[in-house]
Amino acid sequence: MSAQTYGLIATFKTAPSLYHAAEAVRDAGYRHWDCITPFPVHGLDKAMGLRRSVVPRISLIGGITGFCTGMSLIWWTGAVDYKLIVGGKPLFSPMFAFPVAYELTILFTAFATIIGMFVLNGLPMHYHPVLKYDQIRRGMDDTFFIVIEARDPRFNAANTRALLEQAGGETITELDP
Amino acid sequence: MSSHAASAPAALSAAPASTAPAAVKALTLGLAGIALTALGLFVSGAKVVAHSWLVGVTYWTAIAIGMLLLVLIHHIFDASWSTVIRRQFEHGLAAFKWLGLLFLPLLLASFLYDRDLIWPWLDLNHEMHGGHTVGHDPLYLKKAAFLNPGMLLGITIAFFASWIWLSSRLRRASFTQDQDGSLGWTRHNRVTAAIGLPIAALTLTFAAIYWIKSLEYHWFSTMYGVWFFANCVRGALSFGVIIMVWLWQRGDYRGILNTNHFHSIGLLMLAFTVFWAYVTFSQYFLIWNANVPEETFWYNLREINHDGASNQWKWIGIFGILFGHFFIPFFFLLSYRFKITPHILRRIAIWILAIILLDLCYNIMPALKDSHGDALPLLSLNLVWILSSVVGVGGVCGWAYLRSFGTAKLIPICDPRIGESLTHHE
Repeated sequence: MSAQTYGLIATFKTAPSLYHAAEAVRDAGYRHWDCITPFPVHGLDKAMGLRRSVVPRISLIGGITGFCTGMSLIWWTGAVDYKLIVGGKPLFSPMFAFPVAYELTILFTAFATIIGMFVLNGLPMHYHPVLKYDQIRRGMDDTFFIVIEARDPRFNAANTRALLEQAGGETITELDP
Repeated sequence: MSSHAASAPAALSAAPASTAPAAVKALTLGLAGIALTALGLFVSGAKVVAHSWLVGVTYWTAIAIGMLLLVLIHHIFDASWSTVIRRQFEHGLAAFKWLGLLFLPLLLASFLYDRDLIWPWLDLNHEMHGGHTVGHDPLYLKKAAFLNPGMLLGITIAFFASWIWLSSRLRRASFTQDQDGSLGWTRHNRVTAAIGLPIAALTLTFAAIYWIKSLEYHWFSTMYGVWFFANCVRGALSFGVIIMVWLWQRGDYRGILNTNHFHSIGLLMLAFTVFWAYVTFSQYFLIWNANVPEETFWYNLREINHDGASNQWKWIGIFGILFGHFFIPFFFLLSYRFKITPHILRRIAIWILAIILLDLCYNIMPALKDSHGDALPLLSLNLVWILSSVVGVGGVCGWAYLRSFGTAKLIPICDPRIGESLTHHE
């Protein structure tokens, strides 16, 4: 049964009811689930028990890589590979390497942030099972949804449906994979 | 979400707990600092004490200017989250008239006691390195229309007059809105901000040039005003954090501030740390790269003595300014957890405030030279007078803030953005 379904989707009329339902799903210990809202709901990440994103760490690694790349680029080209005195300055100094290192810090940080974000959130995604649900368009207008995926170890068609009902979910539908 | 706004009024309707005893303490501390500084006149002489006093006055003036800028920026952008802390900056602006008064001794002593006390160009007979005098120095004569006693007096009065004028307009409008709730005051302050921002930008730039940069009037750097600006805002943000945490721990700000307010001000601190570093490094880098004596002497003075030996200022430059003012706050403020934990954020705020003082010392104190033309070291008896000046002026500023604190509500309760600010990102 659970192999044939992607999961269960429940609708909610208001942001507070979704918020409290999210808390209930979080407390029930589910991990593979999501909320769909027409607008950002502040504090929903906490209600869902989401940890802070690790993207900042990826950005930091990108930044440090960029800085080291810039410094070693100037050092290698000017002081090792092709020694050239410019303006009576030393062959290498962090002073004149700094603008290059600084630019590469920003560039690599930006790359790491964008790529890290896309990799972690799985975008671009051309197909998602919830798109086949006929009511999903209202998620851009006035309806809130919670989707619990069947691959969640705690998923059980009957119990999960009961949980969503108890949490205030109105129309509960099975999603095709 | 609206429940947060509903829980706030309990804290708002009550007048803030009295700060009168703290104000008296601050004033006493300030007067003690001033007295100790005055004692320094008999120990280290007028020149040293005058420079130390200049550090003390510009330090607190910089923080007050920063607060003025933050309030002006708040209004011009119609900002929302900073509404709950704006009132504290408005109280801080009460210090300007006292800062003007405390600046007066420098002018009086320069004009009436010794023209050569602080700014060498006030005294045309001041002897230059090499035997000639300021009056015969071509580099002075080119700048004489700008650097002369009348201009110093007039422009300093104009600085304080414009700061006091802007502050009183902002304060009056904000405090009156608490009483009558009229939205007209918000518009009034937005107009003040539009007029005030260019005025504040120009006055702080010229203040940095007149009071600090002209101590070595041969030297020039187009970054100087921006450097001062960055320090002003960093100082005000850090002081804002100290006030926020103080009022949070005292209970006033419970139910008003949330994690996101600390996060937001922490983000601004990080942004201005990077901005300060960008400006300060650019100034150094351009001078290093061009390598012309008219500019490099300023850094040489802060690195080596006439015999080529390193002096104290070199290590202050590397460890205090480069690491202390940039790398440490930068890496510290990168962390989300540090920004949202009040007592940790306060720790870095105190650190930044201490380093801003060091930065001002680095810019002002090497103007004091020994008979070889070498900069006098910082770690000496002179440091005592610097610290006593900072405590002296700071005590008076703290008194002005605390005295103003009791005269208005904790937050601007009738501001149209107050609801948004109370539920910042919630």
